[in-house]
Amino acid sequence: MSVNMNKEASTWEPRLLGFLCQWCSYAAADLAGTSRQKYPANIRIIRVPCSGRVDPLFIIRVLCLGFDGVLVSGCHPGDCHYQTGNYYTRRRMSITKKFLEYLGVEPQRVTLSWVSASEAGKLTELLSEMNKEIKKIGPNRLFADEIRRNGTETSP
Amino acid sequence: MKKHKIKKRDLAKLLSEWSNEFTILTPSRAEGATKWTKWDGVDTTFLDWYRNTTVPPKALFLPAMEEMFSFHRDKEGYHIEAPLLDTPKQLVFGIRPCDARSLALLDMTFRDAYEDPYYLAKREGAVLVGLACTRPYDSCFCTSLGSSPDDSSHVDLLLTDIGDEFLMEAITDKGNKLLTSTSFTETAGKAAETRAKESKETAYRKVTRKINVEGVKDRLLSCFDNKDYWEKVALKCISCGICTFLCPTCYCFDINDEFIKNHGERFRNWDSCAFPLYTKMPVENPRPEKWQRLRQKVCHKYEFYPMNFDVIGCTGCGRCIRLCPVNWDITLALTNLPAKAECEQEK
Amino acid sequence: MKYGEMEQKLRREARALLKEGRVDIIIGFENGSLKFTTTPLITSDEADIDRLVINPFINNNLSVFLTETKGRVGIVVKGCDSRSLVSLLQDNKVTRDDVVILGIPCPGIIDLDKVEQLAGKERDEIIDISWAEASVVVAVEGERKEFPIQEVLYDNCLGCELPTPKEYDILLGEPASSIGVDNQADSLTKIKQLKDKPPEQRWSYWRNEFNRCLRCYACRNICPACFCKRCFVEESEPQWLLPVPKWQDNLIFQVTRNIHVVGRCTDCGECERACPVNIPLRSLSREMYQIADELFHYKAGMDKDIPPLMATYEITDSEDLVK
Repeated sequence: MSVNMNKEASTWEPRLLGFLCQWCSYAAADLAGTSRQKYPANIRIIRVPCSGRVDPLFIIRVLCLGFDGVLVSGCHPGDCHYQTGNYYTRRRMSITKKFLEYLGVEPQRVTLSWVSASEAGKLTELLSEMNKEIKKIGPNRLFADEIRRNGTETSP
Repeated sequence: MKKHKIKKRDLAKLLSEWSNEFTILTPSRAEGATKWTKWDGVDTTFLDWYRNTTVPPKALFLPAMEEMFSFHRDKEGYHIEAPLLDTPKQLVFGIRPCDARSLALLDMTFRDAYEDPYYLAKREGAVLVGLACTRPYDSCFCTSLGSSPDDSSHVDLLLTDIGDEFLMEAITDKGNKLLTSTSFTETAGKAAETRAKESKETAYRKVTRKINVEGVKDRLLSCFDNKDYWEKVALKCISCGICTFLCPTCYCFDINDEFIKNHGERFRNWDSCAFPLYTKMPVENPRPEKWQRLRQKVCHKYEFYPMNFDVIGCTGCGRCIRLCPVNWDITLALTNLPAKAECEQEK
Repeated sequence: MKYGEMEQKLRREARALLKEGRVDIIIGFENGSLKFTTTPLITSDEADIDRLVINPFINNNLSVFLTETKGRVGIVVKGCDSRSLVSLLQDNKVTRDDVVILGIPCPGIIDLDKVEQLAGKERDEIIDISWAEASVVVAVEGERKEFPIQEVLYDNCLGCELPTPKEYDILLGEPASSIGVDNQADSLTKIKQLKDKPPEQRWSYWRNEFNRCLRCYACRNICPACFCKRCFVEESEPQWLLPVPKWQDNLIFQVTRNIHVVGRCTDCGECERACPVNIPLRSLSREMYQIADELFHYKAGMDKDIPPLMATYEITDSEDLVK
């Protein structure tokens, strides 16, 4: 969405939400922490037992709540702690991403990644990249009520 | 009471004149579905296509979604902002007799022991300019319910189509006032009245769908426990909310709070007795089965309202029949109601 | 189209099914209470069988009634409906032995909205609509107007991929040729128009459309693929959506619903037809259908022996959208 970046560029930081699978990606985040790796602090992480737990409903709901980006991260295919959970994730999230893009949601807002428990570096890199990409496209105004019910406009 | 007439081509000028005092609401299809919206100041082409709207005028007084008040929380507790209840002066132009009657029925609900401020704030300031029907639908059945395509009982002013003009009959003082200081109408003579009478009679004859409501209250009462009948009749219903939401006399609503961080809003929105969860409570659901809900819907209008208020709670607008995705038809359900004797047997 | 013959055969077969006790209930179509309308007929009474009809107005997808009907059912299905039925078989919501499938080879269903637009008259003011060879004849006061079939059929019929049921017990007529072969593109016109718009305009378009959604749930309830006993909108712990019809929640509802039924939706078009406020729901459901085809070469309800799209996976599924 085209947004007036001038007044916001300097102060706005994207707010991200991540669904990280307990066995791999969440562990990677832990490892990043214990090994003192730096990554952007603007992600809120929700631990799920498996990336397959993530219903596309969560993704859309998160965007509605105003988060600027959503990350779903799980084990690499073949390495799922529950054997096959991430295969379903892959199908589900591919469809969700394509559908949201059709609706007009910027594809950079929804990311699916495989991050294993030892790949703390990959996770931190991924988060930095997500931040950069989302900073470029601006804040998420998709679900904002530009017009209040009584007809007056809210400020952006 | 005054009787004027106006040329159809002067209608826009009349509406503009009235718009100095009122917000004019007309039928519109600009938003994808036919409903009542603020007149744009120019267009009267709705006269070409308008028979009746999908969304009834009840939506003007009991909207599908209405903010009741907002509130916020701080360390001192919750603070409720007073609701914004302005009383707009609205002129509903072109309302059909069935819909005007539906507003009278809704008034009974919202002006009962408790006076609903949200509904009444909008209703008090409203003037109804009715438009008698010339093209009733094949789903209309107002004539069976003591009304007609030209019923003026619940409007302030009634317009009747007489070719390239409208006859305008003031029914109430509000309607009389509307005709008092206009520059575009003239007094109607006998000729106009005769043409109007013909127009009304033609329209009356065009209403072909009929039901016999004599004793319907008692017939429904005696059939109440006839599970076989109601189950069969309910089989094709899909329990959506179309018939209830778009019914001009249905008024059930739900109240919900949305509270995010420290700010919230309380909303009122339409609810439907057809929904399975409508009567669900933590302990039980008195109407878990579809046939029970359908029976309730029919009885509410044709048995309980007559029992309690001596009036049938349906105006015969036919929207439920036209818009039902499976063409469920209340007139058939009532016509095919088993005779009393049969129902007694079922017991 | 030999509607008369199909009708006679249907009535014979349905009567026999009930008489011989092979089914407990018949689900078919009968004439509706409005002109050019049909309505579902659900009956276990032989006396009702003569009311069964087959004509160009049998638009309902009767598979929607299968998940709540107990006992053995004799059900009348067109091509798209039979695919919904097969989809239900794949999901184990219906047992094959419990249904006797009466298949109708379907040349397409007439969209009364389109006829009204073309003829310039509303449904109850039209005298007759009849099917000629490759056209539809509409009789209005004083004249007969003829329109090519492609102009009066529902959009989803123009994209029909299975006019004659593949899975059936009794086929009621000669297999029909699909109008979809030559008219696919027409069924996707609205979707193409949307895809030609830039993303912000697309989102504004949907925001505008869902502003008038009333949350009547007709789209969900008429859909055979929506068979959850407790829909996510009815959850209160946590409450995902308020019943309040704000456009944001309406959009979330419809988008999520479409994602939830991917691989089960056969583009029968009932959701869009049922919507009382004319929201172009097929522009969502058909696109979802296209996505399932594009990504996984899967078309709903074509094969009852394969697992449902989202209940399975391939090791070789694309990694294109994964970082």
